[in-house]
Amino acid sequence: MSWMLIIREERGQRDTRSEDEGKAVYGEMLNFGAALAQRGVLLASESLRTDDSAVRIQIRDGDTRLMDGPFTESREMVGGFFLLDVVSKEEAIEIARQCPAAKFATVEVRELAPCYQK
Amino acid sequence: MESTVDNTAQRLNAVWHLESAAITGSLARLLSDLTQAEDIAQDTLLTALENWRAHGVPENPGGWLMVTARNKALDLLRQKKRRGEHLSSGDFADESLYRERLASEYAGGDLEAITAEFDVSRVREDEVGDDILRLMFICCHPLLPPDSRVALVLKLVAGLSVDDIARAYLVPVTTLAQRITRAKKTLSAARIPFELPPEKERQARLKSVLESIYLLFNEGYVATQGAQWTQPLLCHQALRLTRSLAALINDDTDVLGLAALLEYQASRLNARQDKDGNPVLLAQQNRALWDAILIRRGHDYLSRAFGLGSAIGSYCLQAGIAACHARAASFAETRWDEIVALYDGLLQIQPTAVVRLNRAVALACAGESDVALAELDAIARKKSLTEYAPYYAARGDVLERLGRFRDAGRAFHQAAELSQNRAENRVLSERAKACRL
Repeated sequence: MSWMLIIREERGQRDTRSEDEGKAVYGEMLNFGAALAQRGVLLASESLRTDDSAVRIQIRDGDTRLMDGPFTESREMVGGFFLLDVVSKEEAIEIARQCPAAKFATVEVRELAPCYQK
Repeated sequence: MESTVDNTAQRLNAVWHLESAAITGSLARLLSDLTQAEDIAQDTLLTALENWRAHGVPENPGGWLMVTARNKALDLLRQKKRRGEHLSSGDFADESLYRERLASEYAGGDLEAITAEFDVSRVREDEVGDDILRLMFICCHPLLPPDSRVALVLKLVAGLSVDDIARAYLVPVTTLAQRITRAKKTLSAARIPFELPPEKERQARLKSVLESIYLLFNEGYVATQGAQWTQPLLCHQALRLTRSLAALINDDTDVLGLAALLEYQASRLNARQDKDGNPVLLAQQNRALWDAILIRRGHDYLSRAFGLGSAIGSYCLQAGIAACHARAASFAETRWDEIVALYDGLLQIQPTAVVRLNRAVALACAGESDVALAELDAIARKKSLTEYAPYYAARGDVLERLGRFRDAGRAFHQAAELSQNRAENRVLSERAKACRL
């Protein structure tokens, strides 16, 4: 069973940290990922740049719209993810509880499945 | 919205599944005895259930389990010392060694204080990694028969219950429990040290670990017995073990090769059976159902293995074959010539009848059915695969390609008779019937 932990963080939170503080947070997340890899449950993990440099694309009635970030209308942005392979939802939740990001952001636990399945 | 559903037993189970290898590994190192390590692990689980139900699940449940387990281990050592018993199979018999071991466990401070308050954050990840690795090496010791190694790994490293393992292997619980007890006795009688194998033994010991994981995966991939075509639990545990191993030993061609192979094989699990549980053969599989994430992980491991520049072993070659399938848009578009070449390489290092058989199948797919049939005849003359269902299935396949339907039907029928797996049996019988039409 594959599950994704999506890290939703408050927009602007990264700016409140000094570079050293930012590195410390990042290091903590790397260690967390390494521990998951040692337990054989990690499929992939990445940290994302802020959406300042992001682009959104929409094609409606044949017209393509490009929108530049940051997308300030939402209070949160996706900051990174962990892709897990575990045996149960409980195990995914347990990992999410231990994720350092749960303390400063929101960790959303989602199962991978085709979009037409409820 | 706040959720209030929080089943303690369920949480304990999830935490245990994640941490059992690290905790049991740590206990085994401390006690130098697998049976005692496992007893304390079980005891810790009981204590946890009671305590967590009464006081709630602690903030760091994995750390809580680790501290409690280690404290119990230290208590046991202390009791034994008081009774003047030998502390273990020799390792701790010497008082100074015992003190040294404890001192290195908990640098500084007196025992009582340490037992009372042990900071888990001081247990470094690389130490945990070594404990997990050591436990894998012990459980897969070449001294043990392969089925015992697999049972031990599932019990101690994967943290599965004896019931779960027995169910997956379709053996009575008592049989499996005995197998595990016997294996632990064998190890303890042989006084196998709980240390990472020395450099000169390392390759041989690692080979034994890889073989055990490979065996575990295959047993899940094509269940030799019973009604189910696959046992996903076994495949999943094997994958988890091999991923863990590849994270701990990232510079070994065989480790990365096996990891690649299992990712590729697992990527097809969903396509290998229909919704009624009937086997779907490679040629008929819906490739859209192959798991792209696992395939990419396979490619990743394989390129890392090749990147090491050391000699290519059988796992890498098999992974290379699986990679050819993964890259092909359809069965017909598969580069069978490349696959035959990889089998040639495999035959060099693993000159077994089964590899020869698979090579013959690839030859037939490459359009050389006559050569393939001659190969199958040659294999049959060696009389090693006379009871092997896949041999007759392959033979039926090649004969069918040559238009010799009556002979093909007979071969499929023989394959069906030999197969112990009911789902596979059904498919083979249908192919036999189709040849007679």
